[in-house]
Order: sequence, then structure tokens, then C-alpha cells
Amino acid sequence: MGEVILTMQDIDKSFPGVHALDHVHFDVRRGEVHALMGENGAGKSTLMKVLTGIYTKDLGSIIYEGKEVEFHNTREAQDAGIVIVHQELNMVGDLTVAQNIFIGREFMKGFRIDDRRMIEESKKLFDELHIDIDPSTKMSDLTVGKQQMCEIAKAISHECKVIIFDEPSAALTEKEIEDLFVIIRDLREKQLGIVYISHRMDEIKVITDRVTVMRDGTYVGTLITKDCSKEDIINMMVGRVIYEEPKTKSMCPPDAPVVLRVEHLNAGKMVQDVSFELRRGEILGFSGLMGAGRTETARALFGADPKQSGDIYINGSKVEINSPQDAVNAGIGYLSEDRKRYGLVVQKSVIQNSTMACLEEYISGGFINKKKERDVTEKYIAELATKTPSAEQLVVNLSGGNQQKVVIAKWLAKNCDILIFDEPTRGIDVGAKNEIYKLMSSLAAQGKSIIMISSEMTEILRMSDRIVIMCEGKKTGELGIEEATQELIMDKATRNIA
Amino acid sequence: MIKKKSKLLADQRFIVLLVILGLIIVYMIFSQEFRKYSSVLSMLDFSYYDVLMAVGVTFPLITGGVDLSIGTGMVCYSLLAGTLVRNYNCPVIVAMLLCVIFGMCIGLLNGVLVSVMDLPPFLATLCTCMITRGIGSMMTATPWPTLKQPGGWFHSIFKLTFGSGRSATKLPIGFLWMILIVLLMEFILNHTKFGRYTIAIGSNKEATLLSGISVKKYHIAVYVVSGLFAGLAAIAYSAVVPTVQPGTGAGLELDAIGGVFVGGVSATGGYGSVIGTLLGVMVIVLLKTGLPYIGLQSNWQQIITGFVLIGAVLIDIIKKRRAASSRTS
Amino acid sequence: MKKKILSMVLSTALMASVLAGCGSAAAPTADTSAPAAEEKAEEKAEEKPAEEEAEEEAEPEAETAETKDGGSATGGTAQFEGVKAKEAYNFPIIVKSFQSTYWQAAIKGMDMAAEELGVTYSAQGPNSESDIADQVNMINSAINGKPAGLGLAACDTSSVLDSLKTCAEQGIPVVAFDTGVADAPEGSIVCTVATDNTQAGEVAAENMYAAIKDVIAAADAQVRIGEVNQDATALNIQQRGLGFVNKMIELITADGKTVAVTGNEFYVNKCKDKGDEASADVVIEVRVPAQTTVELCSTEAQAVLSKEDTIAIFGSNQTAAEGVLAADANLSVLGTDAAAGDVIAVGFDAGSTIKGAISDGTMYGAVTQSPLMMGYYTLYALTMAANGDALEDVPTDGYWYDANNMGDDTIAPNLYD
Repeated sequence: MGEVILTMQDIDKSFPGVHALDHVHFDVRRGEVHALMGENGAGKSTLMKVLTGIYTKDLGSIIYEGKEVEFHNTREAQDAGIVIVHQELNMVGDLTVAQNIFIGREFMKGFRIDDRRMIEESKKLFDELHIDIDPSTKMSDLTVGKQQMCEIAKAISHECKVIIFDEPSAALTEKEIEDLFVIIRDLREKQLGIVYISHRMDEIKVITDRVTVMRDGTYVGTLITKDCSKEDIINMMVGRVIYEEPKTKSMCPPDAPVVLRVEHLNAGKMVQDVSFELRRGEILGFSGLMGAGRTETARALFGADPKQSGDIYINGSKVEINSPQDAVNAGIGYLSEDRKRYGLVVQKSVIQNSTMACLEEYISGGFINKKKERDVTEKYIAELATKTPSAEQLVVNLSGGNQQKVVIAKWLAKNCDILIFDEPTRGIDVGAKNEIYKLMSSLAAQGKSIIMISSEMTEILRMSDRIVIMCEGKKTGELGIEEATQELIMDKATRNIA
Repeated sequence: MIKKKSKLLADQRFIVLLVILGLIIVYMIFSQEFRKYSSVLSMLDFSYYDVLMAVGVTFPLITGGVDLSIGTGMVCYSLLAGTLVRNYNCPVIVAMLLCVIFGMCIGLLNGVLVSVMDLPPFLATLCTCMITRGIGSMMTATPWPTLKQPGGWFHSIFKLTFGSGRSATKLPIGFLWMILIVLLMEFILNHTKFGRYTIAIGSNKEATLLSGISVKKYHIAVYVVSGLFAGLAAIAYSAVVPTVQPGTGAGLELDAIGGVFVGGVSATGGYGSVIGTLLGVMVIVLLKTGLPYIGLQSNWQQIITGFVLIGAVLIDIIKKRRAASSRTS
Repeated sequence: MKKKILSMVLSTALMASVLAGCGSAAAPTADTSAPAAEEKAEEKAEEKPAEEEAEEEAEPEAETAETKDGGSATGGTAQFEGVKAKEAYNFPIIVKSFQSTYWQAAIKGMDMAAEELGVTYSAQGPNSESDIADQVNMINSAINGKPAGLGLAACDTSSVLDSLKTCAEQGIPVVAFDTGVADAPEGSIVCTVATDNTQAGEVAAENMYAAIKDVIAAADAQVRIGEVNQDATALNIQQRGLGFVNKMIELITADGKTVAVTGNEFYVNKCKDKGDEASADVVIEVRVPAQTTVELCSTEAQAVLSKEDTIAIFGSNQTAAEGVLAADANLSVLGTDAAAGDVIAVGFDAGSTIKGAISDGTMYGAVTQSPLMMGYYTLYALTMAANGDALEDVPTDGYWYDANNMGDDTIAPNLYD
């Protein structure tokens, strides 16, 4: 490990309503792989975006090669030698590998792009990295893993000194991960500073030299990898002060009837052989890390994504769900994690949104019965305590929590008995969160059954009667609320990872 | 060898070439009139402006956009230029140049609306379509605005005529220009920064931007090129139509755009070829000018063209699906 | 419930007016009170009426000279003598489009009449003659202005019926010019100023037959006569097309030959005898393009002209006639000597392209209407109607012209550029 090449000190960044980074400290040395870890939303990506100029920091300083710097865009950071390999691929699928690697800085021969030289240079680059890809292949013809390799090659082809990998292994197969590690070790040999963001505990142990853990936008600490255990890191990640008392006892009687039974559900790579049961009046938490396959399971169950196999039983009888329409008719409502994209028509009124899923019930003689529509909407506004000046208010003008209530009203109006809440409190402030929690509890008490997908450990522990834990598309555990602890859940959520 | 063969079959341009040959054979079987040299001549005459419009609009279509203003634009430019020639004794060569400049101005407007103002291309170019149509309608004060002058050289740009009357020999050299232009634009599309970034914008605009490329600049340029070709098409249009009627032109762009899609430009952008565009437009032109020869009422032309287009776009979609499934498995 | 219907009606009305507004903004408008360029027209206006009057007087003679002209047409014009406007009326005039100089000539005639009568008008028209809906919108917005009278050349005779009904209800007199509306509701159209299109089509047939008679008589195989009509919906084109076909059938059968009609279904079914194609001596092939553009008319003409057995072709309006000429650009089969194998082309209306083709011998001849006089009489008829006087229809003639009589005083004024 060489000297420190990059130091970020007291970095502070706020977004409206969120304190994303709170005086964070982070440094990178030459010739080390430094892991940056934390739960979803801990602020890792935000920190790296501040570093590479995508976000501007509010406070703090970045010292790079002994000088204080501030980049305004990725290009400036790139030119200075700091490159990032994004989690989402930034590739132009219709161009070739070589064309992608040199996009924006093509070799020219007069007016003409010198494709031959670009291919030669790419070959050299790939030889150096021991990657076996033909640079004249079209990018979209490569597997995701190979595309990732190209992205890395592109990053390295800039004269870089610091390289950031943002969850590079999320889409890779084991073989590809091994190849990736060969490249990373190689880069370490060359005295580059490497930042490695990942959830995979085992990878961290294998490849990194130091680990910095963040939690809720704050810096928790830095450890030397070989001196610490997996448990140490987990404890640092989850060790927050729990300000909400977790549920200690299931509210759902053990003999409550099973309303939904899913058996051996398979849908692509992200849902493999998932089985579970949901009882009447129960809140079933789905926990796991990002990309564990929870949302995909819900979408497959709801008929939004095609499933390869699996049986679904509602109240004991088998149902065929091939489209969201089938699911709704079977009494399942889905509250998407991205309300604005999938759950609401934000430019329409509360009334129109509330009755959207069951408009046919309000139609008499070809016209929409506005009065009935309004009565029902107002009933739910009162019942859910939605804060809106009127039922005519456009949904876009409501706060996140109240928007969520409109979505809930939509499904309640449809008489759905099974509600899937996907990240129900994402982007909602603390006060509104509590209201949503109360609402969910009272819905459960009224006999509705709820599946709650959440990445927030406290939320899972506070709301669930029972918890299903997923990892890499597989169900890795199921815990009753009485036995569940953060550590136990985190252990299961990372268990399957090789 | 087998691999090569299947690759050839997978290339939409090859399929389109087969369709062209098929159409010609069918026409020749059913209509002896079609076998005449004069039919080839008139078919080519009416193809030039379609080809030029289509070559231009290929670029916005590759970026995933569209340019609806080329049809009315073309008519508008030729009316403006014709008026200058008829009323103000403007030299024909200057009028031709002006056609191109007018086209580039409207193209620039389109580009700014799409790229800087962030208007959807469909809407932005629909507006300029209406604007050019309106400007074209204003040219009614001049009887017969045209670039053609009796005994002038203008007509010879596209068709050399030796001798006169019925025994005259006519050479459609315009087709030669088309080939040259298509080859030039194919080169520009594949081997220059402009072409490369056109494809990149259409394939993944976000990634292109993140690669540090001035997407705005190239996006504007794409529409300027489209306008430039609408201006060239105006010259070709003046050469074949006896009189350019004010206020017309709406719908002409659809033949060109249809041709581009038949030629294999991806319906979602990101892939295209100018040679494909030439072939695709020839299919449309063959349908438009050939079907009357075999005695079909002309309404059928549009119906059949519609089905051909569906076929072409389906090929694109099926191709993409196959590529996707071969990648994941 | 009532409220709902009311709001629906209101919003529809709003939409319609917005659309109409858009239409008129986009469409070309010509206003008498407008530009300096009109000065030229005004200068001419002083000499023109005298010329026209001379022509009117000369007409009976012209008719006897032009025996093939057929019917008389001056009946309705006498009623306009001494007409004076009671007020300075402003009439909306809706033309079919400004696509061809035909309509420019009509506007010129209106300018002359407006000057004489001391009234004004504002002319409007859709961008193309196919834009039927645009025209209906223009009519409706004109009606909303409660004018003293409305001049109308309908693109599509059935689409305007509702609007005409409104006119009848509101007591707005309508003068139909260029194109009559056969099924117009009672009391809406007070006067029709239009070419007798059937007669005009017959004139074309008679003159064409004179040129190809010997060829038909001498033919030992089937021969073909083409007809290109720009559409099958407008009454004037229908009448012209059928006038030509029926007259041709009459003339050919009178000489002992058989005729068959093929092509567009409308014309085939409406002609008096569609005959048997396989055995007929002469086949009349009627072609209609998908849209009213020169390019598509040309494509249709080309298909007919490429056939070896085609001996003559008729383009029944300016667009169709120009399409025929465009088709000949590569074929070079048209000429004036049928015996030598030239295909005889007969056109309709004028314009410099057609005039040029007739004077250089590419086109045999054409039938012209008098758009100038139609425009002129339209304003007179509107003024009378606004004054509250009763009116008779004003039929105007179609005149045959060819290279020989193009310069004649009786013909030349009608040959607009």
C-alpha cells in the first residue's frame, strides 16, 4: 500500500428533505483496493457521485494528489485520472466494442474515423487486461458480463490513477467475477487506487485491503480487511440506534387461514423456486439486499412479468395469473416502489386515481357516475386521513405520503384483500412513515393480508409478523418476528453469495 | 459458407433487394407496358425526390426522432425558388442554391426545437411541417413558379436528352447522382464523427452524453442534414413535376419515411444504412408507380404499401428479439 | 346529466372554432382590401369589363362559329343588368383551394365585380382540394359571422350539406359557383354559377372524336381511349367525366362501332352503357388517382399511355391534364396527327403548361371554362341575393380551344396563366 492519493474530508450533501451525506470521511491509497460498504441508501453512491462531479458537495474538501480539487462533470474527473465504472452500463449497444471504448475521442484520419487503429488499440488494451473479446463485435451482441469488462477497459484506457467500481459484480457470473478479480489485482499491482463498492461480504474478504462502512449518510469507520470478520462489518452496517421498537410478537393468530400460497415460483434469474404462504391479517416482510429478487417475485406473482413455472393458490384454490388484470380480479393489489411511474397518474386528480382500477363500477349508461365516484373517494380520504385540499386536487401536488395513500385507496376501492407494498415508505418523511405504518397495521387488523417488501431493516422488524429473506433470486430464510434480529437477517441475506 | 449465407439472409437490405426484384418480375409478367424503357425512365424521374428526402430523413430516424417537415418543406422551397426565377429573374443556379439554404434553415429550426428546447421530434417537425405548408400556400400570387425554363439546362441535371421528339434518347443520369449521394452518405454515416454520434444518440443518448460528447450539437446537425436533403429534393421535384402546386406536399414525407423503414432503419433508432434507405424507397416507388400498370386501382397501392411496411418493421422486431434471446441463453 | 351534455356541446363547439381558426390561419386568404400587388389587377379591371361585355355580346356569334359547343348559356346573365348594392356588403367566398391559377382567375373576376358594385369579399380555401374537412370548417366559421351571403365552391358536394342546412335556417343565401350542389337543402342555394360540366365534357368528346374518327374507322384491332379524372367525388368532375364518356359512346356507336368502359367503378357504373370489354372495338379506360396530385395523375396517365392500343387521352381538369403531360415527358407519344400514330391528348382548363403544350403541338386541344366570368357573376348574384331579389341559375359555357383559335378575342381572355 502506497501513500494516500485521494482524501475526501467532511463531505456534506443535502437534497430537499434528505441529509444524504453527513460529514463523511474517505481516503484511498495507491495500490490498494478499498471497499466502501453500507446498506441500501447509506450514501455510498452519492459520495462517489460527489467525487466524480455528478453532484456538487455542500461542504468539505477533496484533496487529490496533494491539491484541493473540485470537478464539475465526469469528463473533468476523467481528465484528472478518476474514473468510475457505473453500476448501470453506459454502453451504446449499436456500436462495436472498439467504437464504444473510444467514443468521444476517436482516432481520426482527416475526416475519416480510423476504425482500424481503434480496433488495434482496443486489442492491446484487452491483451493487457487478459480479456478475450473481439473489439469489432457489436456491443449489444455481448453478454452483460462481457459488456462490464468493456466498460472497465474503457475506464482504464483513460490514463487513470483512481478507479471506482460501483457494484461491478451484480450482474456477473462466478467465472466472470474471477476474471474481474484478476484484472483488479493487476491494477493494484500497477499502483492504482481502487474503490470497490459491493454488498457481497465474501468478495470483500477476498479482494479488498481496507473496508470503510457508511450508515445513513454518515461515516462509521474504516477497518483493515484481513483483521476483521464478516460479523464485524455487519455490525457496523446495521448498528444504528433503533428508534422504533421492533415488533416482538406476531399480531396474526397462528391458526389464521392461509389466503395466498405460492409454490415453486420461477421467473428468470431473479426468481428461482420461491415458495411462501400468507395468512389472513398478516404482514409478511420481504427482506434482502438490492437485487435480491424481491420486487421481481412480487411482479411475477402480480402477473406483471412472465413466469416460467409455479402455482398460486388463493383461499386454497389454484388461480391462473398471467396479467395484472388477472391478479386484480383475484383480489391482489400492487403498490409499486416507483409510485410515480407505475402507481399513479400524477397529472390527474385524486378522484381519477382512486377509481382508476375499478372504473367500470362507476359507469352508468355509458357515463361515469361522478357523484358515486366522489363519494367513494371522499370516504377513503377520510378513512386514510389523506391530506388533500379536495378530491379534485392533482396528485402531483400531494406529498409523498399522501400520494401513497391515494394508491392505497385505489386498491381498497377495488376490494383487494391481498396488498403488496413494495418499499412503501421510500421517499417519505418520518412523520408520514408512521402514518403509513399505522395504516398498514390497521388494514391488517381489518383482515387484509399484506406483503411488504422493504430494504429498511427497522421497517421490516417493526412491521412484519413474519419475514421472508431473499438473496440472489432465492429464498434463503424465513423467520418469525419473535426470533428475528438484524444480524440474523443480514446473515441470511448475504448467505448465498459466493 | 453456410454462415455467410445466413448472414446475407439476415441483412434486411438483401431481403429488400429480393422484394424489388420480385416486384419487377411480377410487373413484367402482368404488364407488357412495364417492360418498356420509358417506364423505367418515368419511374426513376419520380423516385429522385423521394430518394433525396429519404436519405436526409434517415439521420433523424436513426437518432430515434423523425422529420415530418420534409414533404411540405420540399414543395415550399421549390415554390420559393420558382417564384424567384419567374418573377425576379433570379439565375436558376442561385435558386437551386437557395432551395438548399432554405432547407437547412428549417432544419436548423427543427434541430433547435428538438435539441435545445427539448420538444419531441414528432411535435417539433409537425409544427415546421405546418409552417412550410403555409408559406408554400402563400406563393399563389405567381402563376407557375418553376425552376424550369424553356430550352434551359435545368432538366438535363437529371436526364440527358439526345435528339428530339419520339426518337430522342434519354439517359437517366439522375440515378447516377443518387448512387453517388447514397454512397457518400453511407460513408459519412459509418466513418465520420457525425455519423458515429448519430448512431450513438439513437442507441443510447444518455451514454453518449456521459461519454463527453456534445449531444446537442450533433442532434441539431442531424436535422440540418435532413433539411439540406429536403432542399435537394426540392430541386429534383421541380425537375419532374410540370407545375408545383402551392399548399401541397403534406403526405409526401410519408413515402420517404416509409421507405427508410422498409430499408431497415430500426424503428427505435440506433441502426440504419443509407444504402438500405435507397433500396427501401425503390420499393415504395415501385409500388406507387408500378401498381397502376398492372391495372390495380390506386387505392390498393396505399393498402399494399402499408402491409409492406408492417412486414419491414416486424423483421426489425423479430431480429431484435432473436438477438436478445441468443444473448441471454 | 343536462349539464354534462351542455358542456359536451360547448367543448365541441370550442374545438370546432379552434380548428376553424387554425385552418384559416394556415390557409391562404385573399382579401380585397389587401395588398399593393392588387393594383395591377385594378388597372386591368377598368378595361376588362368592357372586353367581357363585348364578349358577351359576341357570344351568340361565337357559338354559331363553334358549332360543337352545343347548348346556350347566356340565359341567366340578363338578370344582372343595372344591379346596385344596397349596402357595402362583405361576402365570404370559399373556394376549393388556391392550388391552381384557375382560382386566381376567379378571384380576378370577383375583384372586377367588387369594384363595380362597391362591395367587398374575403376569399378563403383549404390547402388542397382533397382537404374536405378543412373546407367544411371554413364554411361553418363563415356562417358564424352571419354574412349577407356566402359564395361557395364545394370540394365535396355531400360534405357541405349540413352547413347548407344551417344557412337555410339562418336565412343566409348561398351562391354556388364552379360546382353545383345537387342535393342542396331547400332554400339554401339561391343561385348556381357554374359551367355546364356535362356540356363541357361533351365538347371535349366531340372535338377529340373529330381527330380520331378515321383512326377508329380504319382500326383492325381494339383501340383505347383514356380518361384521367382527379377524383370521383366532386360533382363537376363527375359530370365532366360522364359527359365525355357518354358523348363518346354516342358518337362511336353512331358510326357503327362498339364501345366498352373500364377502370374506375364509379364511372363504369354510372355511364350509360359499359359494354363488353372483350369484344368492343373501342375501350374507354377511366383512371382515378388516390389523391388529387399531379404526380399521381401522371402515374395513372402513364399506365394508359404506355399501352400500344391507346389512341387518345382526356384529362378532365387542370391537374389531370398536367398529369397527362408529365406522363408524356418520357413517352413522347402525344401529338396532333392521329393518322401518323400520335396519341391525341385533350385537356381541360388553361394554365401556362397546358397552353404551352397546345401551342407546341403536344396537346391537341382543351376545353376551358371561364373562371373569370364565374367569379364575376358570383359577386353579382350574391349582391342581388343580399338585396333580396330572386335569382335564376347562371350556367356558363365550356369553350373548345386549340392551336388555331387560342389567339382569338373570344377565347384568349379565358385562358388564364
